[in-house]
Amino acid sequence: MGENPISIHVLGICSALAITTKIDTAVVMTIAVVAVLSISNVVISFLRNNIPNKVRIIIQMSVIASLVIIADQVLKAYMYDMSKLLGVFLGLIITNCIVLGRAEAYAMQNSPSKALLDGMGNGLGYGSILIAVAFFRELFGFGSIYGAQVIANQIYLGGYENNGLMILSPGAFFILGLIVWAHRAYTGTSDKH
Amino acid sequence: MRSDTYTIVFTTIVTVVLGLGLSVTADSLRERQSINEELDIKKNILSVLGFSLSSEWENDKIQSLYEQNINELIVDKTGSILGPIESSNSDKYTIYQSRENDKVTGYAIPIAGKGLWGTMYGYFAIEPDAETVKGITFYRHKETPGLGAEVDKEWFQSNFVGKKLIDTNGSLVSVEVVKGYVSSTDPKAMHKVDGISGATITGKGLTTFLKNDLQKYEPYLSKVRKLNQIESL
Repeated sequence: MGENPISIHVLGICSALAITTKIDTAVVMTIAVVAVLSISNVVISFLRNNIPNKVRIIIQMSVIASLVIIADQVLKAYMYDMSKLLGVFLGLIITNCIVLGRAEAYAMQNSPSKALLDGMGNGLGYGSILIAVAFFRELFGFGSIYGAQVIANQIYLGGYENNGLMILSPGAFFILGLIVWAHRAYTGTSDKH
Repeated sequence: MRSDTYTIVFTTIVTVVLGLGLSVTADSLRERQSINEELDIKKNILSVLGFSLSSEWENDKIQSLYEQNINELIVDKTGSILGPIESSNSDKYTIYQSRENDKVTGYAIPIAGKGLWGTMYGYFAIEPDAETVKGITFYRHKETPGLGAEVDKEWFQSNFVGKKLIDTNGSLVSVEVVKGYVSSTDPKAMHKVDGISGATITGKGLTTFLKNDLQKYEPYLSKVRKLNQIESL
């Protein structure tokens, strides 16, 4: 909890903004990130003693990029509709700083089993924030939770309207900011300058 | 510090292994992917032409519905229908004609063009009168989820239904996606639909390529209109 990649390290914000308008896309994105992050951590940890220092970032990037492409292909073959929704953002896992960050900071120094746990932990930590943000954005932006309408029609008839801001990127910024604030206040973390 | 030779050999091995892994995955999944894509296209043609589809349907059911009701026509730029193998020097365009009990119930044409992030692909359906919009749908695009990707949504697509493609003089005006809402007092409201807030460029792109694509089919569609007029006399 104390090391959540988004709320503490503020990494991976770009995709957190883009795919959190609905919970279902956030869940699939979470699964993809956990898979890519765990596997890339394990692969890089296995290779850690053999990777030449000069080209280590390039090697890490190649492993990560290959895994992301595979994830994208699998999604296209088995969950075609979802892959259409995620669109370009699944491919952008490659540029997600969390994946490269964990490879460089953790997998390069630790054994594969530890790296696997680290990958899963960070992936889930990232995903939990995605889903939390998506929960609020879907609730206020569409009036539904996981696709099921929860705000009754009578309330709409009474003048309630879905908040369009929540569907747009600024909505994610606000929610994310509040979550980061709440989490840091709770854990007592602050940036040390 | 390791030698340069080691670095080069190591990098080569990693690249080859990863490349191999990628091509094996891509190759083994290609068949499934292309089935998905083809089926998705057929689903889109069916739904844009007003057939209601259930997401629980088996692939075969969609396939047979498509084969029974959709007639693929190929037209050239003068608007004449070409046979399936007939060669022509001019450009060829495919138009999907839906029929129920030997009566034409609509036409669908493929549309494609630039959105904000990339090319958008979809279908545009026209009523048998060849001037009223029956529907619009997209099957592939790279627009931002929540913004440009709203083109996939019911609220946006249903705004097109019933709009007119030609003006009172009979010339093509297409349908324009405006910024914001269409004013109800606008005399050209029948040629305009509401835009998506935050996705102005997507809307502008759509307006442009919709008109371009309709222009290609206009020779054929105007023939249909003339035929309809003669029949109604």
